[in-house]
Amino acid sequence: MDSDATPAATLQAENLGSRQRPPGVWRQSWYRFRRNRAGMLGLTLVSLVVLIAIFCPLLAPFDPNDQSAMLRGAARRAPDSIHLLGTDRNGYDVLSRMLYGARTALAVGLGAMAIASLIGVTIGGIAGYAGGMTDELLMRFAEFFMVIPVFIVILAVVRLFGIVVVGTWLENIPNLNLITIIVLLGCFEWPPIARMARAEFLRLKHAEFVEAAVCIGSRKRDILLRHILPNALPSLIVLVALGIGGAILAETMVSFLGFGDPKAVSWGQSLFFNYEALKVAPWAVLTPGTAIFLTVLGFNLLADGLTDAFNPRLRQ
Amino acid sequence: MSALLEVEGLSKSYPVMERRLFRARQRTEIRAVDGVSFSIAAGQTLGLVGESGCGKTTTARAILNLVQPTEGMVRFEGDDIVPIFRQGDRARILAIRRSLQYVFQDPWLSLNPRWTIGETLREPLRVHRPEAPRTWTARVDELLRMVGLEPHHAWRYPHEFSGGQRQRVGIARALAVEPKLLILDEPVSSLDVSVRAQILNLLAELQDRLRLAYLYISHDLSSVRFISTHVAVMYLGKLVEIGEVDEIFSRPRHHYTRALMSAIPVPRPGAAQTRIALQGEVPSALRRPSGCPFHPRCVAALPVCAEIEPMLPPAEAGHRTACHNPA
Amino acid sequence: MAAAQPLLEVRDLKVHFFTREGVVRAVDGVDYSVNRAETLGIVGESGSGKTVSSLAMLRLVPPPARTVAGQILFDGEDLLTRTPKQMAALRGRRIAMIFQNPATSLNPIYSIGAQLTEILTWHEKASRRDAEPRVIELLGLVGISDPATRLRQYPHELSGGMRQRIGIARALLCNPSLVLADEPTTALDVTIQAQILELLAELQARFRMSMVLVTHDMGVVARMATRITVMYAGRVCETADAATIFNAPQHPYTRALLESMPRIDHSYAGPARRVLPSIPGRPPNLLNPPSGCRFHDRCPEAQVECRRLLPVETAVAPGHIVSCLRRGSPGIVA
Repeated sequence: MDSDATPAATLQAENLGSRQRPPGVWRQSWYRFRRNRAGMLGLTLVSLVVLIAIFCPLLAPFDPNDQSAMLRGAARRAPDSIHLLGTDRNGYDVLSRMLYGARTALAVGLGAMAIASLIGVTIGGIAGYAGGMTDELLMRFAEFFMVIPVFIVILAVVRLFGIVVVGTWLENIPNLNLITIIVLLGCFEWPPIARMARAEFLRLKHAEFVEAAVCIGSRKRDILLRHILPNALPSLIVLVALGIGGAILAETMVSFLGFGDPKAVSWGQSLFFNYEALKVAPWAVLTPGTAIFLTVLGFNLLADGLTDAFNPRLRQ
Repeated sequence: MSALLEVEGLSKSYPVMERRLFRARQRTEIRAVDGVSFSIAAGQTLGLVGESGCGKTTTARAILNLVQPTEGMVRFEGDDIVPIFRQGDRARILAIRRSLQYVFQDPWLSLNPRWTIGETLREPLRVHRPEAPRTWTARVDELLRMVGLEPHHAWRYPHEFSGGQRQRVGIARALAVEPKLLILDEPVSSLDVSVRAQILNLLAELQDRLRLAYLYISHDLSSVRFISTHVAVMYLGKLVEIGEVDEIFSRPRHHYTRALMSAIPVPRPGAAQTRIALQGEVPSALRRPSGCPFHPRCVAALPVCAEIEPMLPPAEAGHRTACHNPA
Repeated sequence: MAAAQPLLEVRDLKVHFFTREGVVRAVDGVDYSVNRAETLGIVGESGSGKTVSSLAMLRLVPPPARTVAGQILFDGEDLLTRTPKQMAALRGRRIAMIFQNPATSLNPIYSIGAQLTEILTWHEKASRRDAEPRVIELLGLVGISDPATRLRQYPHELSGGMRQRIGIARALLCNPSLVLADEPTTALDVTIQAQILELLAELQARFRMSMVLVTHDMGVVARMATRITVMYAGRVCETADAATIFNAPQHPYTRALLESMPRIDHSYAGPARRVLPSIPGRPPNLLNPPSGCRFHDRCPEAQVECRRLLPVETAVAPGHIVSCLRRGSPGIVA
């Protein structure tokens, strides 16, 4: 896969006499990635979102749950020097909500994909490596998850769960709704990862360097974790990056339908609260909308760039 | 001289499934390797030749248990190793793995692209010498020197090397645990002509120095002639002729061997080559001819060839041929 | 005049790859010619430029490569000045190509018949009905039994040797004057290779066409070629008729290459048996080729001047061209 004899690689082979340590495979991918404009734009957008999520308490001019503007009769105020992006119909500062929303978005994206990757790589890896009946069963199981309409399940579970937990200790968990959404997204987004992991493990199981490890007498665990998994990782990372964008979008949609976590500061929720006032206070809708757009775009471009960086042969 | 490796009646067949809606039914089987027997003594090289699909690589993989043999015995230093692999006793398996190593055909695929050469060479030591990690680095240096590379190459990644250098690394990895027998699966066929001679010389030198036995698998008869002490010819999963190298090359007796040798273009223009034209192509293993598998293409086929399969004479005879009407 | 003039003449051809790492001089000033009804064997290792130079003749060099200089005179006309449309009309009709891998050079979703008749309907504006008998006739000529039935078959139903026969039939359909065969038998088994080589030689004599046979296998050119050009690192080392190349090679690379091959008709058994004379080092990187003569760093006869001067192809005997300073070629500072 990475056995491409690029002129650069052969050039290094020529200069083998020098003792300078050459770039590894990952660093080579980074060199390729750096030259990819769309990918770099994606990385910039994603980094921006991450930085905002980390530093939003310092950046935000108001508390995201501060509704005092409403009491002052300053709801739906157009952008001015105090509220840089205006206020919405609940009196929230739009800019502060937008900045804090990055945390929720990332929590959803990363959380959901962490769960999905764990399930996906485990199931797909076992299916690909074991093969035979195990493979059949696990893949049918994955397909079962692929045909379930995720949204309806999430909406139903969130609503039911909201009723069930009332009065129990579960009620005290902060952001319970959000956690439910993250877990559910994770539990339904793993099949594509499992399929990719299966394909990669299946391919790498018969790779000659894996057979060489078998001939040496390496343990199965070493073969799986040290030979196969690192070589499967690039394709999986691409899928995960794409999935993060997808999960963020999914949470936005759930929130927009009004099934989100009322206690969380979410872009989708802001849309839900304000879409009716689109004409009166467009800033309250356009700001979270733009944030969603740029974040999801960022992750998609990042995934694109990573594909090119890891598989230089796919592109001419 | 007692044999280091003895293969007796080794067979590997693959079921051919017919897929129905709900269950797969075995329709027939392909016998990729069919009752192959040979032996290799220490310091010897057996060249196993044949065209693609004749089962020579499957034979090697069955010896190493990369595929499980369906039938037959593989005795290494007197012990049948097939049941050892089947039982899965790790200590005994490791002992076999240590003495029996494999060099792969394609040096571009046989090295983990994400590992440095040093990591690749340390791996066998990690498995077989876990008690002495301090000796690993010195051993890696020694191995690299042994195959004509430099110790600092240990820091490099496979993609920085040329095909010939990668194949040297593949050989070094196989030598790391001081094996007694190397199985070389077309080790030079993917290399450039000018590099082939280097690798062949290296293999010959290592053999003399370390008293290694080789099973050299190739379709390239000229390199087989160079490296081998003995030659075995395979056709459709069967051994058709076996003997000492000069015997086979100067007096081939099986008509397939003769055709194979006459088909090699010799680098001498206008060479008076009496070519034995072979009609048709190797039949699919699914439609194996009755009797002698070679009889439909054979220039000297007798009526008996279509009915009775000729057997390779027992091991005592030096130059043996499975043919009713040998030349 | 027409008899003396070669059918194809390549003059000072340069094809460079423009990569991000720099310019790779894959073909760097190559001259050779092909006479009528002869087979020119171009021999070289991977990266010697043998395939790229033959693709350049069809103006098929893939990006990022570009033909940057030279002339390719086919029947006296420079192909490099032709328009793409003129080239398309020429390809397949007057110059045809036989590819290395018969498995991928045929389109898997069309039947053999459809792929072959299409060539005739396209190049000669023949109707399908007129084309089919000719296709069947040619399939018979390349040794395919029952050609009328084969027309309805698809590539995957045929063996590798059969597919290569189809590939040859496809190349010969329009009666080309020149056939380029790029490693036509490398993907095949030796016994099949022998059949295909025999077929090619027979067809070449029958149709009196010229052939350029590109290969790394000295044995194949020995059997097939009238004249041989040996390439190394994008340059021609030596061109001569086949007997001279094998019996009296002049260039050190040609000599070393021939000596480094184990011989099937030579016994290596015995105690002091086994050292092949090998060429040290490895083929150069063309991104940064050696100065002067490309072969000097691996050459047993190299002198100081070889490092500095690029040898120019010179005739050492009629029809025997060598580019080596040690054989009297003049050198230029490159």
